[in-house]
Amino acid sequence: MASRFSGALQLTNLDDFIIPSQECIKPVEIQKIKNKVGSKIKVEDDGSYVEMTQDGPLTKLQKVEITLSDCLACSGCITSAESVLVTQQSQEELLKVFQEKIENLQHSKDNVKFIVVSLSIQPILSLAERYKLTAKDAALKLSGFFKSMGADMVLDMSVADDFSLLESAKEFVERYKCSKEGLNNKLPMLACSCPGWVCYAEKTHGNFILPYLSKTKSPQQIMGSLVKYHLASSKGLSPEQVYHITLMPCYDKKLEASREDFYNSLKKTRDVDCVITAIELEQMLTQQEKNLEDFDKGEIEKPFQVPEQLTDVLLGHQGSGSGGYADFIFHYAAKHLFEESDAKLEYKSLKNPDFQEAVLERNGKVILRFAIANGFRNIQNLVQKLKRGKSPYDYVEVMACPMGCLNGGAQIRSQDGMQPRELASKLEIEYHKLPKSDPKQNMLLKHLYDVWLEGENSEKASAFLQTEYHEIEKMNTAISIKW
Amino acid sequence: MGLLELQQNLVGHKGRVWNVCWHPSGESIASCGEDKTIRIWTHDKSKWVIKTILTEAHTRTIREVSWSPCGNYIASASFDATVAIWDQKSGQFECNTTLEGHENEVKSVSWSVCGNYLATCSRDKSVWVWGMGVDEYECEDVINAHTQDVKKVKWHPDKLILASASYDDTVKIFDMEQHTNHWICASSLVSHTSTVWSLSFDRTGDRLVTCSDDKTLKIWQEYKPGNEVGIPTPDNEPIWKCVCTLSGYHSRTIYDVDWCKKTGLIVTACGDDIIRVFREEGDSDIHQPTFSLVCSMDNAHTQDVNCSQWNPCIPGLIVSASDDGTVKVWTYSD
Amino acid sequence: MNKVLENPNPKIYPKLEEKLGTDTECENIIRNTNEFDARGIFELLRNINDPEHPLTLEQLNVIEQNLIEVDNENNEINVKFTPTIPHCSMATLIGLSIRTQLLRTIPGRFKVSVTINPGTHIAEIAVNKQLADKERVAAALENKFLLTVIDQCLENTVQS
Repeated sequence: MASRFSGALQLTNLDDFIIPSQECIKPVEIQKIKNKVGSKIKVEDDGSYVEMTQDGPLTKLQKVEITLSDCLACSGCITSAESVLVTQQSQEELLKVFQEKIENLQHSKDNVKFIVVSLSIQPILSLAERYKLTAKDAALKLSGFFKSMGADMVLDMSVADDFSLLESAKEFVERYKCSKEGLNNKLPMLACSCPGWVCYAEKTHGNFILPYLSKTKSPQQIMGSLVKYHLASSKGLSPEQVYHITLMPCYDKKLEASREDFYNSLKKTRDVDCVITAIELEQMLTQQEKNLEDFDKGEIEKPFQVPEQLTDVLLGHQGSGSGGYADFIFHYAAKHLFEESDAKLEYKSLKNPDFQEAVLERNGKVILRFAIANGFRNIQNLVQKLKRGKSPYDYVEVMACPMGCLNGGAQIRSQDGMQPRELASKLEIEYHKLPKSDPKQNMLLKHLYDVWLEGENSEKASAFLQTEYHEIEKMNTAISIKW
Repeated sequence: MGLLELQQNLVGHKGRVWNVCWHPSGESIASCGEDKTIRIWTHDKSKWVIKTILTEAHTRTIREVSWSPCGNYIASASFDATVAIWDQKSGQFECNTTLEGHENEVKSVSWSVCGNYLATCSRDKSVWVWGMGVDEYECEDVINAHTQDVKKVKWHPDKLILASASYDDTVKIFDMEQHTNHWICASSLVSHTSTVWSLSFDRTGDRLVTCSDDKTLKIWQEYKPGNEVGIPTPDNEPIWKCVCTLSGYHSRTIYDVDWCKKTGLIVTACGDDIIRVFREEGDSDIHQPTFSLVCSMDNAHTQDVNCSQWNPCIPGLIVSASDDGTVKVWTYSD
Repeated sequence: MNKVLENPNPKIYPKLEEKLGTDTECENIIRNTNEFDARGIFELLRNINDPEHPLTLEQLNVIEQNLIEVDNENNEINVKFTPTIPHCSMATLIGLSIRTQLLRTIPGRFKVSVTINPGTHIAEIAVNKQLADKERVAAALENKFLLTVIDQCLENTVQS
């Protein structure tokens, strides 16, 4: 089976596709009882282990649970994750949650979860292509599908996309100024909405690379904040009473949702509870012997909407199908740093089509140099250039998948043998047909900064819109060393 | 039967010698091993003498050395996860470039015939292709096709085609997809039943010989679309078929094999301390070739033979390297 | 998802100390490098410590004299070992310790194989393949963290 993780995660330590029970190296504390000789471990019929002591009684030995968070915090194989994910963020889990909700409703219990589904644009386009629907119809039918299962609300993510772009752009301008004042490690700023890239950076390059990573949360995690800490309270609910599902283009997003940074230990709840991907959604439909077409159109709610601004159901952005980071930040920086309000952005491919560069020139001098680096090979060259102090860039939009998120690892593969790149190009054309959102003009953001975040640049805004990265040190206990 | 005569025993390495490589002119030998050094030996009048010892570029075992086709560079692959490129711009060999990126031990390094590309492979399961950029080597692609440790990479003798051998028991053939510059696995050669340690193309590049921990040699033939014999080629891609298996000759793991581009002879390096030479029968059918053992040098070394290579210019000259710490130069004659 | 990583309380077997010869006799076994026998090899291996218990491979019955074969004529030594439990995650590490001890004490002319006693471990084939790969073994022994552990395992053994 082709991996649904990005290429960056498929490198050795990062992705072994092994079953944790056989190869996991998570150290477990075992309470040894001294001076006990001759006890035996017996395997019971149900597969559990019991200890037989000479005195007779059988003691059931404690089983060890390995969570996805354990995998993320470990420098071993990230991704025994494959099988850990299967249970913790799977279709089965999703069905279970919906099932529970229905049962709880029937028995009129009061701990019924309020289920919210957030749809990102890339898997919508993938599913639209798969089921021969327009993007808008696909979104509405997806809403119908989730609501038929018991979802209370289905949302699009353009507000989170816009937040992420605007915050990234502000962060870039800030970093650029600091850098000109002589502060080190501010530039290039590296985009961090791709969790595959973040994971690779944290595990492989650690503290050297982390200062360059943009602190702005990805759209998924901003959506998580918005749903759990704004939408919930507006509904009179506590964060843990809401179950938040996102639809995403790659498995790596499951890793992102599982990060400790996005877990509220007080309320015992994650900003995003379950990530489901295009390919899994297709499987769910297939299992139900359904076509997406078969579902009634549901509503895509706009719960944050300000009355004076009515928007389309689906919105795209100028630039790459990964969300248009380089594009938006380039224009924003040109305007805010150099008063260029109609800077022209022209990409040229360098070594390969997945490495593109664009510059802003003034009087024949380059004043801004941006790049888009997609796929692992280009990430490599970027990191090596940085290490040698030879990176000429101010900003790089880094994505682990070749062609970026439209070609995410868990997008649906072509039914008729079309190459992934060709298919992604097709999706890109559809993406650019969408009406475009401009984060700078988005009244809704202003509204949310006011009513939710207590203003721009507030503590609340950084808590809900920014995150941190952590070096993961290599474990060197004997058993953890693979050779 | 042929005859293998020891021309000279080159002593100097401390510990296991992993690999030796002839200079493209055939006039020098580079060797490397456990002692983290590269030794360059040259032919002086009638004898091979040590010319240079290169040290300090690697912190762990040097697994393989490879001369560039122009003979001006040496690439060395090390267990320290790096590849060093040595040049002699200053007159002496110096390491001015280090290729980093592999997660752990680099097992093999190979220059493309044009000299513009390098391929490397590692226990991290990946094969990397590096290209000469403006003033430095850049990563052209990272290929995640194998499921285990990759033991060897070798370029086709005249095309931009790459072959790799792995602990996953397969050999894979890669070529470059034009518009994306991605290296795609064009063929997976499945037949060995254990680790494939090494491989070598014949002079034409249409045939491959592979050697394995399963104690066999296998000969593979490439069949292009529309081949005369009617071998089906799905997706209009060439396929490689195993057309001959040489079993029963080697008693232990075969660590290296080299197909002589001059004479068509095949030499093997084996864990049973023996160097063997095979010759294709005169009436051999290309689709069902037959090879015979023409020479078997018992106790060629006192321990495992790790490497055996034909001199690229002088027919019959072989260099070998062994766990016994020596490099030996041999002359083969019919 | 659920697992028991280790064998917390393994069965312990009596040492065979008495049955073997005196110290002088053991030393002779090591010094006489021309001829080896199963008992001599056993002597080299019996005091290897288990990586997770303060016990020797002999006490755990991981090493047994009757699972050692020596062929002096063909310079071959084959050692089979029995992991304490079939899913023991330490099996490769134990195998590596045995291999390392033999590498350090046996003359290079010997072809040494270290394998799992057939049918006693769930990953028998994979472990055997890894232990037989001299390149992997050589690389492992250059890893200082791994080497520290191996050296601890070998600290009470007869050194060459």
